[in-house]
Amino acid sequence: MPEVTFREANKRYRRAFIPVMVVYTIAVFGGSYLLKQFETPPTWLSAIVALIMAAPIGGVLWLMWRLTRETDEFTRQKQMSALAAGGMITAFISVVWGFLELYNVVPTMWTFLVGPIFFLTYGLVYCVGGRSLGAGFEK
Amino acid sequence: MINSLRELRAERGWSQGDLADALGVSRQSINALETGKFDPSLPLAFRIARLFGKGIEEIFDDGLGHLKKAAE
Repeated sequence: MPEVTFREANKRYRRAFIPVMVVYTIAVFGGSYLLKQFETPPTWLSAIVALIMAAPIGGVLWLMWRLTRETDEFTRQKQMSALAAGGMITAFISVVWGFLELYNVVPTMWTFLVGPIFFLTYGLVYCVGGRSLGAGFEK
Repeated sequence: MINSLRELRAERGWSQGDLADALGVSRQSINALETGKFDPSLPLAFRIARLFGKGIEEIFDDGLGHLKKAAE
């Protein structure tokens, strides 16, 4: 694991995060604009645009992973717990929704929602875990 | 685990931020350590001990000191 301080790790994360988000924004708006130029865009072009739009999200996940490895041990523990909890909550929501879908109780869920659900639950658990759960969470 | 981090820091007139910077960790880490919400790893415990010029056992107490006495 590289020997960097908490401050340096955060600085490295922010320095890389901003350009990745700029690329993401350009990809989303540019890709949508490009596809609108066609009455029926070719499937290969739609696929390429979709993959280009998704690539920066992969970059953000990698940056989060790098930050988790480089940050101090207390933050890492909090981060890993939040990532695990976020993943488990997202999986649980998906399973519950899946069963409801199976019996036609709810409409088919848009797969696209899984990502935001994960990031939202991860963020919430990270904030709540660090404050109100206190010792029970961090020990 | 009980520790005397807060007292040692106060003796030197350091803020939590000063200690965090000296150890290369977040201020929240120092707060969690001082309030006993988080136990440091061995490498961090060594860093803390060296910074204050003390032994690890002089700073951290796991409350099991009686086991050592019993073994003796």
